[in-house]
Amino acid sequence: MSIAPDSPSAAVPGSEPVIVARAVAKKFGDFAALQGLDLEVRRGECVGLLGPNGAGKSTFIGCLYGAVLRTGGDLTVFGHDPAQNPRKIKERLGVVPQENALDEGLTVMENMRLYARFEGVDKKAALPRINELLAHMSLDHKKEAPIKTLSGGMKRRLAFVRALLSDPELLILDEPTTGLDPAVRHLIWEKVISYRQAGKTVMVTTHYMHEAEILCDRIIILNRGAVVGAGAPRALIDKETPGFVATFAHDFDARIKAELQPSWELFHQGRQCCVRAPKIDDLLALQQTLGTTALQLRPSNLEDVYLKLTGRELDDND
Amino acid sequence: MTDEFRTSFQLAWHVVVRNWGVYRKDFLANISPTLADPALMLTALGMGLSPFIGQIGGLSYAQYLAPGMVATTALFTAFFESSYGFYVKMTFESVFKAMLTTPIGVREVVMGEFLWGFIRAALMGGTVGVFLLLMGLLSNPWAVFLFPLISGLLAVPCGAIGLLASAMVRNINQFQTVYSFLIAPIFYLSGVFFPLGDRPVLGVIVQLSPFYHGVRLLQLSAWGQWQPGEIAWHLGLLLLFTAGLGYWAYRKVVKILTT
Ligand SMILES: Nc1ncnc2c1ncn2[C@@H]1O[C@H](COP(=O)(O)OP(=O)(O)OP(=O)(O)O)[C@@H](O)[C@H]1O
Ligand SMILES: [Mg+2]
Repeated sequence: MSIAPDSPSAAVPGSEPVIVARAVAKKFGDFAALQGLDLEVRRGECVGLLGPNGAGKSTFIGCLYGAVLRTGGDLTVFGHDPAQNPRKIKERLGVVPQENALDEGLTVMENMRLYARFEGVDKKAALPRINELLAHMSLDHKKEAPIKTLSGGMKRRLAFVRALLSDPELLILDEPTTGLDPAVRHLIWEKVISYRQAGKTVMVTTHYMHEAEILCDRIIILNRGAVVGAGAPRALIDKETPGFVATFAHDFDARIKAELQPSWELFHQGRQCCVRAPKIDDLLALQQTLGTTALQLRPSNLEDVYLKLTGRELDDND
Repeated sequence: MTDEFRTSFQLAWHVVVRNWGVYRKDFLANISPTLADPALMLTALGMGLSPFIGQIGGLSYAQYLAPGMVATTALFTAFFESSYGFYVKMTFESVFKAMLTTPIGVREVVMGEFLWGFIRAALMGGTVGVFLLLMGLLSNPWAVFLFPLISGLLAVPCGAIGLLASAMVRNINQFQTVYSFLIAPIFYLSGVFFPLGDRPVLGVIVQLSPFYHGVRLLQLSAWGQWQPGEIAWHLGLLLLFTAGLGYWAYRKVVKILTT
């Protein structure tokens, strides 16, 4: 497979690995937050880390730069072990933590200047860079504002600006768009995409499947601290949940069960019955048999894969 | 190795810059209590009690108290900054969470806090010293030049005690307990208010307090008593406590800032 160098999916398969995790484990006391996590991220890839609340996404991210010390397995980032040599890694990395962790004692501009200094950004280069990024995130009118006076979404955007200050080779985004309005979300996506096009590596966690599909070359799904599925979004859908899904009201449950073919899958979401079948014709025929129109008829998507692999899809087949 | 030290020091310096950036915003409110407290004590105790007490080893009571006021400023500056101050930064403001994603590590955070404590105490101690000089309370006027250094040295182990408290308390109210049972006794019983001379029990126990050694160094310099043996003893122990408590505090802070 050959990919044009400037294509947004420049996940050069042969490029060197940036993150290599082998059987990474983290225990908090008796509780295993990560258990035998294996994954690899290569330079130029944008990898999406999906998983339910508490799956271990933020814990794994913490392991990458030494904020969380793993209790087992091997992990290297840029060839360095974050438990041994975190600074070597942190010099090349930008992080948007799940909680913004902006310095509340300082203003927007003071925060950014200070972080540019922390990251060792050249003094002269820092100011134009800060101004450019603030302008891009429509925060330039808030330069002198104390952090306390910013809205939640503004703080999120500022945390994003802060991560980009040093133009890092690896950008780690822990739920970057949570709490953002749709327009700002697009602004962030645009920035992430242009970042990838510059050949940088991105790891992003999100609970928005649509976001993952838009941004990521590859998806890694975590559940209970281990990888349960990985692949390009399309390939993952074709592998795990190929076909189409029709959703019916709960009343049809019994009748659908009677009509179920071996290649179909029946599962429930909330008070609704969902049928997955390989061909859309199967579902059109089912509608006819039931004498009703499905509430929804659509191709399978990443959310189906996610729900299936994390066991959140209440499966009737087993 | 020296390169590593230089980088580490530069990163720690950024922590000082950050603290200064926040501190200067409320400059007057920040410095007034540290200066007002010793002034008040000198007035109430020094002026008030002097006539009743007479002389202590050839000094008026106000002259006796004077160097202790420098020590007091250094102790409280360092302790409050590294207990309440550090705890709030860590817990409510999560200042370090983001800082630790940059090349700054826990070692630089702790080093930076100590440096900051040293500098602040040096400035405060120096200011109190100038004030004492103007009041004519220094038998050895040259001591004003030594006060910043001794205040700074004294502040580091006191700051380490504050950091240890930050790492061990379960909520912010527990600092009150640390204050009442550790800092207050250290403060009242370390020779600031009365000479320990050769009190058998207290004189020995107090050797365990880094604050006491700082107080003695300040007193010897303020009173112009050149006693090399005693100076070496107190300086040596002060540095020993600085190293020991500093390292212990670092180990503790590593445990709370990484999981
Ligand atoms: N410091 C800690 N002490 C004890 N348990 C912890 C600690 N940090 C995380 N955990 C536990 O580890 C598990 C994984 O947490 P983590 O924050 O990594 O989840 P996550 O995938 O990021 O979830 P979310 O989508 O909610 O952000 C959770 O069960 C959490 O309770
Ligand atoms: Mg998380």
